[in-house]
Amino acid sequence: MNNLLQFIVKHVPWFVFIIYVVISCILLFSNNPYQQSVYLSSANGVSASVYETYSGVTSYFGLKAVNEDLLKRNTALRMEISRLQKELKNCKLQIPDTTGILAKSEGDYSFVVANVISNSVAQPANFITIDRGSDDGIVPEMGVVGHNGVVGIVNVVGKHSARIISLINPYTRLSCKVKKNNKFGTLIWTGGDYRYATLTELPRDGKYNKGDSVVTNGYSSLFPEGIMVGVIEGEDKEMSSNFMAVKVKLSTDFSQLKNVSALHNKMRVELKALESKDNNPSGAKKEEKK
Amino acid sequence: MAKSTLQFIILFVILVLVQVIFSKIMLFNVATPIIFIYLLMRLPIGLSLTWLFTIAFFSGLSIDVFNNTQGMNALACLLIAAVRSKVFFTFVTRDDDSNIIVPSCKSIGTGNYLKYAGTITFVYCFLIFFIQAFTFHNVMLTVARIVCSFALSLILIYGIDSLMTTRREKR
Repeated sequence: MNNLLQFIVKHVPWFVFIIYVVISCILLFSNNPYQQSVYLSSANGVSASVYETYSGVTSYFGLKAVNEDLLKRNTALRMEISRLQKELKNCKLQIPDTTGILAKSEGDYSFVVANVISNSVAQPANFITIDRGSDDGIVPEMGVVGHNGVVGIVNVVGKHSARIISLINPYTRLSCKVKKNNKFGTLIWTGGDYRYATLTELPRDGKYNKGDSVVTNGYSSLFPEGIMVGVIEGEDKEMSSNFMAVKVKLSTDFSQLKNVSALHNKMRVELKALESKDNNPSGAKKEEKK
Repeated sequence: MAKSTLQFIILFVILVLVQVIFSKIMLFNVATPIIFIYLLMRLPIGLSLTWLFTIAFFSGLSIDVFNNTQGMNALACLLIAAVRSKVFFTFVTRDDDSNIIVPSCKSIGTGNYLKYAGTITFVYCFLIFFIQAFTFHNVMLTVARIVCSFALSLILIYGIDSLMTTRREKR
């Protein structure tokens, strides 16, 4: 017993070492980004304020490119408006009452605009930190879009900051479709170049050409249908006999990201309740028995 | 003693903040400067191991929090803290004074210091990039990152060390 105590006392530092190693290994291997504490992510108060100061200085650097991007986007939207107005006029000529058409717009989503204060593109798993948090109405699992398309999904929320799982993170799986023929696939990023991702699980019977647009399909409650994700760059390796994968050039330039908007789906709570009901048939049976 | 502790804390804060910015950099998609391990190199060799491991763990963890890489830097820091004195005495002969020595170019000579800092930096870069890549997928890129980041970091650490030494001489 005495020997054992002596042994322990003699090697206290190494026990401390082992405890620390175990703690860091637990942190390292429990790397599910969806269950992280706010304090251990970049959304905590201290790192958010450091990043805010940093981005306050550097946010001026890329303004020219951002401006150009906005201008392009603006023009595209203006064209879209004029096209839609023309269509509406035509509709009015055919059907006198247009209330049915107007009521079904994208009114289910509201958004919060935020600045990117920290971002990475070179890590194997990339995250983005923004300067809006729970006080501004951000909640986990909101979809986030930039000027040019989908950016990521909100994951950890602090009081005045939030961390987003970037689209260029292996944990992100985004359900998308090819705009031209409505074929569904899952967009994943497996590391490497931040400008490209892979659209997998595409049915083999469709034709996919270089330059075809890939957009969100609106199946998840995170993003409305038809938000730009990227364009097909070329065919990738074959996955299996029934499915194929294509390389997608992402429309968002993650290295230049400055402003994003987080989308709030007003129907989300309702949809979630409905989904959990579907997934739990035993619960439904119990209710029936009652 | 109190003065050097205060100096160390200031150095800690500065190095961590600079490292946070540096971690975002990846020159030519291969080289990331890693400088905050200078902290661990600078601690006196005779410092108790408990303190050394605690400082290593928390400095690594603070970088992890900023970079959203939980546990990765903390683990690598702990491992270099564990091999630090072994590396030191490989290049410097042990004598009575060596327990109070603060490793720097001035105290052990530029050549020895570069060997000591180089070994530790290399071990660190090796650990970080292999934990990061984790699989042996794309080995060449990982090796290139290790070598380039090692070279860049060593140059910067040498620079920081000469800065620290000249400042002390002026006093």
